Amino acid sequence: MFLQQLITGISIGGIYALLATGYSLIYSLLDFSNWAHGEFAMLGAYVAIVFANMVGVPFLLAAILGVCGGALISFLCEKVVYRHIRSTGAPNMFLMIGAMGLSTIFQQVANLVFTGQYRSFKFKLPVSTIEIAGAYLGVLDLISLLLTAVILVFLIYLINKTKFGLNVRAIACNAKAARVLGVRVDRSIASVFLLAGSLAGVAGILYGMKYNVFPTMGNIGLKAFVASVVGGLGSVPGAIVGSLLLGILETMVSGYISSSLRDFFSFALLIVLLLVKPSGLFGVDVQDKA
Amino acid sequence: MTDGIKASAADSRVTELEDRVLLLEHKLAALESKDPVLEMQHVEKHFGGVHAIDNFSVRIEQGQIHGLIGPNGAGKTTIFNNITGIYAPDSGKIIFRGEDITGSSPSRVAQLGIGRTFQNIRLFANLSVLENVIIASGKDATYNLPQAIFHSDKYKKREKQINEKAMNLLEIVGLQDKANELANSLPYGHQRKLEIARAMALDPKLLLLDEPAAGMNADESLELVEFVREIRGHFKITILMIEHHMDVVSNLCDYCTVLNFGKTLAVGTPAEVKSNPDVIKAYLGGNE
Amino acid sequence: MIEAFNNINNAFCGFLHINPYIQGVVVLLCINVIAILGMAVLTGFTRLFSFGNAGFMAIGAYCAAILIVRHSVNFLIAMVIGAALAGFIAFLLGSLTLKLKGDYFLITCLGFGECVRVLLNYFKKFSGGSAGFPGIPNYSSMLFSVLCAVLAFFVAWRFIHSKYGRNLTSIRENEVAAEAVGINAFRYKRMSFTFSAVYAGWAGALFAGYMMYVVPTNFALNKSIELITTTVIGGLGSLTGSVLGAMLVTLLPEVFRSLSNYRMLIYGFAVVLIIMFRPNGLYGYKEFSLKRLINRFKGKPKTGKEAAS
Repeated sequence: MFLQQLITGISIGGIYALLATGYSLIYSLLDFSNWAHGEFAMLGAYVAIVFANMVGVPFLLAAILGVCGGALISFLCEKVVYRHIRSTGAPNMFLMIGAMGLSTIFQQVANLVFTGQYRSFKFKLPVSTIEIAGAYLGVLDLISLLLTAVILVFLIYLINKTKFGLNVRAIACNAKAARVLGVRVDRSIASVFLLAGSLAGVAGILYGMKYNVFPTMGNIGLKAFVASVVGGLGSVPGAIVGSLLLGILETMVSGYISSSLRDFFSFALLIVLLLVKPSGLFGVDVQDKA
Repeated sequence: MTDGIKASAADSRVTELEDRVLLLEHKLAALESKDPVLEMQHVEKHFGGVHAIDNFSVRIEQGQIHGLIGPNGAGKTTIFNNITGIYAPDSGKIIFRGEDITGSSPSRVAQLGIGRTFQNIRLFANLSVLENVIIASGKDATYNLPQAIFHSDKYKKREKQINEKAMNLLEIVGLQDKANELANSLPYGHQRKLEIARAMALDPKLLLLDEPAAGMNADESLELVEFVREIRGHFKITILMIEHHMDVVSNLCDYCTVLNFGKTLAVGTPAEVKSNPDVIKAYLGGNE
Repeated sequence: MIEAFNNINNAFCGFLHINPYIQGVVVLLCINVIAILGMAVLTGFTRLFSFGNAGFMAIGAYCAAILIVRHSVNFLIAMVIGAALAGFIAFLLGSLTLKLKGDYFLITCLGFGECVRVLLNYFKKFSGGSAGFPGIPNYSSMLFSVLCAVLAFFVAWRFIHSKYGRNLTSIRENEVAAEAVGINAFRYKRMSFTFSAVYAGWAGALFAGYMMYVVPTNFALNKSIELITTTVIGGLGSLTGSVLGAMLVTLLPEVFRSLSNYRMLIYGFAVVLIIMFRPNGLYGYKEFSLKRLINRFKGKPKTGKEAAS
């Protein structure tokens, strides 16, 4: 029972991590929380489900299209909205308000186009369970876990070992200096949005396979936001750790205490954690000095 | 009805008494002069392994203009931030007019009477020039919330005084014509003056100026020297200033302290400091 | 006492031929105005964000409802207690969380709002759970709500146009500089947070009297988002703008009934466009003034401050 809960927790935590790392990457570059991020996942999932169920392309292809959809929408948001707001020199808070507006728009559009109905992938999902050490584990959970792990390892490699990652870290450190040193800042930011959007697309499809696809599913973005705050805004490893912690906590509370109190425990712990560690687990305290 | 009249009479009596207390405080401040205005004793501040300030001591007497000079990264702004409470020093003591202010919060330090300006100007950009100064007169606004909501006599009187005081300050710095313009629409030199006027609204006993001549050409800095002198003459205030321009320092400062990598190289009059071999080697030698 | 108020209201509305539908719309408008004024002080003047104000509305609503229904407390007193309780809780929460930086503070507010909703759902004996809390007498008549809204505006206006508002604005403009001129930013932020929660609680208590029963979903995260949206549309830094925003958001869907499905979509677009092209909102930092309007029509030159903004 405990092992089963733990694996489920890690698998849902993995989905959060796919989103939370996106939050963190964007936050580290632009110092704002991209509220529309959960919506990228939702739209990615809808793209995938439209292609899989209505057009009838093979599931894998539909999934890839869904991921591309998430990436494209994320990219467009940056290109059309965020870049414009940045160019006006407005405070970072305005970026967040803009993101909030985008989130409302996407949710409403999905609601109008697809109605509030819960949709499931027609593709036959591996719903069977296998028994390991007395625990029954969903094959779907295991697949999602494995896929997430591979993607996250790749992401960490990308950030720490490649030229792209170096550019991103340089901008996160000091965008002006990076620009002077020849880093193409806007291009790198756009790439990060593409990357974060595609991660969100994967998260949306995995979540949709497990819990169906519906217009308000973007609210998992909120959980991912919580996770990235727990880990410390702007820290990618922090986001992963925070997500796993949150996923495990949620399944444990649902399993052992009460599923209706699940969100209470997540948020209460978040507040308590921030009171003890005001910048999250891995966050850096940035002071506005004179 | 008579109760109401009595209450308002009592109210105005209180206001009157407060005014007299204010007046007496000013007189008292003028009288006490022998003690140093600011004394820093063996102040240290590290960031990670870096000694931003290493065993820094200074004594600033009433009415002096004291200069802090040194190359970039010498720890000058860190000293300001320690005095004004943005950082707490790791060790050492900061005493302001006999009161230990080590580790006090920035707002507390300001309320005690230390005004400051910033190296990169920090005005309330979207507010008018007048509002910028009025905001700094917070301690003169001694009314409470109900009085503000019902516009009691005390509220009206205080607001009128604050307004007059602010206009007066703007007149002294020569910005009275710009009172209703937005702070960020002012030219650079005027913004510097407004920042000083704002600091003066605190009725400070000590004014900290962080590179007031930064970004100014020779003529402008000469004008600034005159301006700071006028301010000192007008308010009988003590000034501690960070400055790069050696001509500004020689012209203005009674004493100065030269810093390098957090360490104090020399203390003395500008002339003494200029001829100090250590200073010439570390700082001036490169430039002049 | 409620009856007396309602009788006066009925006589008044009867005299002016105001039908119940319009009365309802006006009540809703007044509730929104009060809640938005609280948000305007917090977000527009202090630049603090709260995704938890729906939670404070819930506290005001449930507190007033429970006091009136279970303990037969006079509705005026119940309303004051509801608003005060919301403010008190905000004061405590703010004492803990306002030291956190930007987004960290924001997420704690959001978390708080969600916690309130979850707890109201969970403690069924206390709050009626997700089925709601019924049986609240209808005390939010049109006349009473308008009185409340006018009072709320008056108090907020005087609050903002005194040292309190000035100090909040200085924190919005530059917190470090505000501290440097002796303003205790933490204290003033907490005051602003408490103020907005009192207004939210007040609006919530009126809402309970209007709906006559309350459910936790009335006060979900979406409500907080709607409040912020309206504040942005009205203008960050203008009280009159906020009232105008509240009017727009309440009345437009009533006027254009066929558009009601697209309501939130339109708000979303409005917010994005405003933030992109008129980031200070429809009214910006300016307050509505008849004099300026007349001057504009006469084509008089603007004064320096207006020209620059």
